[in-house]
Amino acid sequence: MNVNQRPTVFLVDDHALIRAGLRAELSGHVDVIGEADEVAAAIEMIIERSPDVVLLDVHMPEGGGLAVLRAVTKVRPNVKFLALSVSDAAEDVIAVVRAGARGYVTKSIEGPELVEAITRTAAGDAVFSRRLAGFVLDAFANRPQENSFAPALDPELDQLTPREIEVLRLIARGYSYRDIAGQLEIAVKTVESHVSAVLRKLQLSNRYQLTNWATERHLL
Amino acid sequence: MKFSATSILRPDTPGRPQRPLRRKADGALLGGVCSGFARRLGISTRSVRIFTVILALFFALGVAAYMTLWILLPRQGEATSILTRTVNDRRDKEILFAVAIAVLTLLIAFITMGVGLPGVTLWFLALCCLAAVMVWRGASNDEKESLSQLSTDLAKLRIGRNDGWRAVALRTGFGIVFIIWGISLMSRVSGENGAAKFVLGGACALVLGLFVLFAPWWIRTFQDLSTERRARMRAQDRADMAAHVHDSVMQTLSLIQRAADDPQEVTRLARQQERDLRSWLANPEKFGAQSTSSRTLSQSILDVESEVEDNYGVSVDAVIVGDAPLDDSLLALIAACREATLNAAKWSGTREVAVFVEVEHDKVSVFVRDTGCGFDPTAVAADRQGVTGSIIERMRRHGGTATITSSPETGTEVELQLPRASHSS
Repeated sequence: MNVNQRPTVFLVDDHALIRAGLRAELSGHVDVIGEADEVAAAIEMIIERSPDVVLLDVHMPEGGGLAVLRAVTKVRPNVKFLALSVSDAAEDVIAVVRAGARGYVTKSIEGPELVEAITRTAAGDAVFSRRLAGFVLDAFANRPQENSFAPALDPELDQLTPREIEVLRLIARGYSYRDIAGQLEIAVKTVESHVSAVLRKLQLSNRYQLTNWATERHLL
Repeated sequence: MKFSATSILRPDTPGRPQRPLRRKADGALLGGVCSGFARRLGISTRSVRIFTVILALFFALGVAAYMTLWILLPRQGEATSILTRTVNDRRDKEILFAVAIAVLTLLIAFITMGVGLPGVTLWFLALCCLAAVMVWRGASNDEKESLSQLSTDLAKLRIGRNDGWRAVALRTGFGIVFIIWGISLMSRVSGENGAAKFVLGGACALVLGLFVLFAPWWIRTFQDLSTERRARMRAQDRADMAAHVHDSVMQTLSLIQRAADDPQEVTRLARQQERDLRSWLANPEKFGAQSTSSRTLSQSILDVESEVEDNYGVSVDAVIVGDAPLDDSLLALIAACREATLNAAKWSGTREVAVFVEVEHDKVSVFVRDTGCGFDPTAVAADRQGVTGSIIERMRRHGGTATITSSPETGTEVELQLPRASHSS
């Protein structure tokens, strides 16, 4: 994507009202190049149009957002996904993030924030909500009694650096990336790279708690 | 060799010798043996059937041959025969073994009693029983389905599924024949040797007759009962759902209509209803059984969240990492957290308050943050109970700390830290 160009966005949601609302919020900031209300059509159209970012509803019939994500990523690995969830419950979204979404936002998000999240996704960065940050902190926490059961950890993937934990805590406390950069006296770009690193760990780590937590809720 | 006969062969070109011998799946009366034979030989199905019936008159040879072929020949479109399937299944083999013993016992009993049938016929019939059990156990799902269809049709005597006077007449005729036969056999009991077999045969015929007469009615009642039970369960579910929707959603909607000109009240009601519905969806059984005492930290924080939301119409979003059972100092922490949240809701001027709680093994941290107008913590008079007494002093009493950072640009954040006793990890 050219930096000066506006990102192209594709909407997937089974509620026409939500799609209309999103279109209205996004008009003038990004180019909405299509929308779909069911899994099969979404897969076909996204592969055909190859947008920068797909705004994906997590709760859809026929396999939902996960099915779209898996089918498209196989053919178009460059299409980035931003999950859209009504509930903000991490268990709804963790499977989508593990499957490759660059992050997620709730449907109650304000217009400018959504545009910022889309721009960030299009640039290849991660978008963490407060709750997702809280979940990651929980899942990667080092609790002594659990570690005795856990298999040998891969420190590259299964542990967060102190700085990453700091960033996640600030996100969970409700700070924006800019606030975090100010607080830690680092560049916004550095915050973004920390968050991307955490996202990578979240997607690739087979940490005991993560798998356990997700399978308990039949997500993987 | 495994292939589907239908896909290779034209169904209506008779007389092809290379056709494999298969039981026909469509147009079968019972197992499809006769029609399969007819196809193999290129002659009409009817003549094969008549031949089989004639053969059956000689010591039940036709029946035995039919049953044997039923289990030996694979069905059209299937790779294995019923025999190989039952023999390869351990459970089926056990059942078969038990049935074989029972049949053998009966056979010996009949031969010694002398039922009036030649021994060969009895052996053939015993073979048929075994084969029937095999069919029952080893038939493929497709075949089972068509057989069960056949059996309901037979029990109602609706041959060809045309319910009408013919079926009724046929059924009545069969029933009456069996009953008369039974009565005549039983009437011969007195003054004859070996009367038992007539009693036995007569009773069987009677029962058979009654069964044929009443089977349709009985089966229909049975089906109606289960349909009705299912319908009642569905109605029950619907009633529960309707009751819940009425209690919560409809009430809230009417409240919202009444408060239409007060956006704060509408938001509050909508938030409350949303939380309500979510907890109901997540756990419908436990819904309504409100926990009288929340016994863990996270539950208490969620209670604070909903209380402040309900009373002030702001959205409080709590993110909680970890959990811990409550004790005195944690109760104090929760009270301080509640006070901070209330202050943010009342004074900050924003609609959103972010609460973050993290339980670590050595401490519990709470952050209450809003992006509102902010205030000068040093300018708050020392006698103001809210901040000093409820938050700072309370935390200090329990060995914790409270830090308030506030500015007009970034809003206010209250940070509460409480060290944890080492016994609870």
